[in-house]
Amino acid sequence: MTSIDLDDLFSAEAIGDPYGFFGALRESDPIHWNARHQLWVITRHADIVWMVRHHELFSSAVIRNDQRPPYPPIDPEDKERFEYVREFRSEQVVEQDRPVHATMRGVVHPFFAPTAMEAWRPFIANAVADLLDEIEPRGGMDVLPDLAAPLPVRVIAQLMGVPPEDREYLRELADKLLYINRGESYRMKPLTEGMRAMVEYVTPFVEKRLQEPSNDFISVLAQGEKAGLFDRHQVLVNTALLLFAGHETTMNLIANGTLAFARHPGQWAQLRADPDGLVRTATEECLRYDAPVKSTQRIAASDVDFHGRSIRTGDRIRWIIAAANRDPLAFADPDAFDITRQPNPHVSFGAGIHYCLGSTLARLEGQEIFRALARRVPKLVLDDPEVEYQPSIQFRSLKSLPISWR
Amino acid sequence: MQDVLKVWVDHTRCVGNGFCVMTSEKVFVHNEDRQSEVIDPGADTPEKVLEAARNCPVSAIQVESAITGARLYP
Ligand code: HEM
Ligand code: SF4
Repeated sequence: MTSIDLDDLFSAEAIGDPYGFFGALRESDPIHWNARHQLWVITRHADIVWMVRHHELFSSAVIRNDQRPPYPPIDPEDKERFEYVREFRSEQVVEQDRPVHATMRGVVHPFFAPTAMEAWRPFIANAVADLLDEIEPRGGMDVLPDLAAPLPVRVIAQLMGVPPEDREYLRELADKLLYINRGESYRMKPLTEGMRAMVEYVTPFVEKRLQEPSNDFISVLAQGEKAGLFDRHQVLVNTALLLFAGHETTMNLIANGTLAFARHPGQWAQLRADPDGLVRTATEECLRYDAPVKSTQRIAASDVDFHGRSIRTGDRIRWIIAAANRDPLAFADPDAFDITRQPNPHVSFGAGIHYCLGSTLARLEGQEIFRALARRVPKLVLDDPEVEYQPSIQFRSLKSLPISWR
Repeated sequence: MQDVLKVWVDHTRCVGNGFCVMTSEKVFVHNEDRQSEVIDPGADTPEKVLEAARNCPVSAIQVESAITGARLYP
């Protein structure tokens, strides 16, 4: 057997089996300097939780503070496009440190809080039922295009308060925004197209909501603008963030969760026996077991001595959710898929002040999908036992997932 | 008469999001693990405490009436 290069984050091993790959790092060198990509790789659950909760030591303003050229490299003629992307992203809430972060989050947080979100559950359950009514008679589907992709766009469109006939267009925009996490050298072109089109599309809605507020998310941001807490640019880029942040992530929860159930028929049978009783802990276990987001980043805001390793101001850091969620020091039998696991302190939504704004919404979507599937589909059979993943270091995204139930 | 609240934070759930501390610094503080602790449930109005509880993204904040024992959140 050849030994694996644990510094090649795009290797077939890292993409295909992040649990084996990053698990090996976690057990051998949990605070690892990756010389190839020039960044720290953090893999222990306790270390990640500590780091992410100390936001004053580890900045989220990665794009603003990291002056290194984009990686993987981009087409040389795209420098200006890259600057546009930088400007766009650096105003998003996820890229802010305190005190700006607290102000921005204060405006949008209550809209997404559990009590407020619960009101959207019936809409989500209906959207799931509509999709499944159409799919069920076919006896099979590709989970990604047929179920996992349409649901989040439908839900976000509703939350944003845009008309249903615009959904298809929003989905096109979302697809372009997803180039943020891709490696193709031409990616700045579709990405800036998507960002510019998003700004153009959303602007008239903001104008309207400034005059006539409604119960949607754009109204919340427009009120923030009225109160002087957001400027117009920030309103627009954060609306785009919402469309983007809730898209591929939720898709992956649905697809990776369905795959886990297909590979663990005993757990599927158990959920089917009591969908209402088990769907919440089952959704948490799907989030933990095969997390939609594998890793994310920080940039050191001061020199930190971390278990004897010297992290210096300005050092880049990736923290590996996929490794933390399988850490034997945090979870009993971490590689087992157990839908009754409780408590389940996974870090799939991060931790600390940037804890996922859309976590309650994503949970609702996951719960309603798995509940409906459990009620309607007795057996999940993979058409092809081998699956393939997109070559992203951030997202755990299946390329396709054909299944059948006949 | 205003209700008297019994308030505590479930540390198996709290992710240290800090929204409760932003909502009422008189009632909630972060401990050294950056999890929330209740210092004085009576230091702010019951409405403020319930607002913090409703906005906790993981529903870690537990609220009961100290008078009737009734569960107020979640
Ligand atoms: C299963 C689905 C999802 C997963 C796994 C996920 C994961 C994450 C993670 C790990 C973070 C923390 C990033 C960091 O600290 O660097 C985050 C932040 C965020 N997420 Fe999600 N997310 C999901 C769904 C959503 C949805 C549906 C929305 C919006 C509707 C959303 C909006 C956001 C926003 C705005 C932030 C930034 C919050 C802040 O900086 O304060 N996410 N998400
Ligand atoms: S809002 Fe909830 S998760 Fe955040 S610190 Fe308070 S109790 Fe913890």
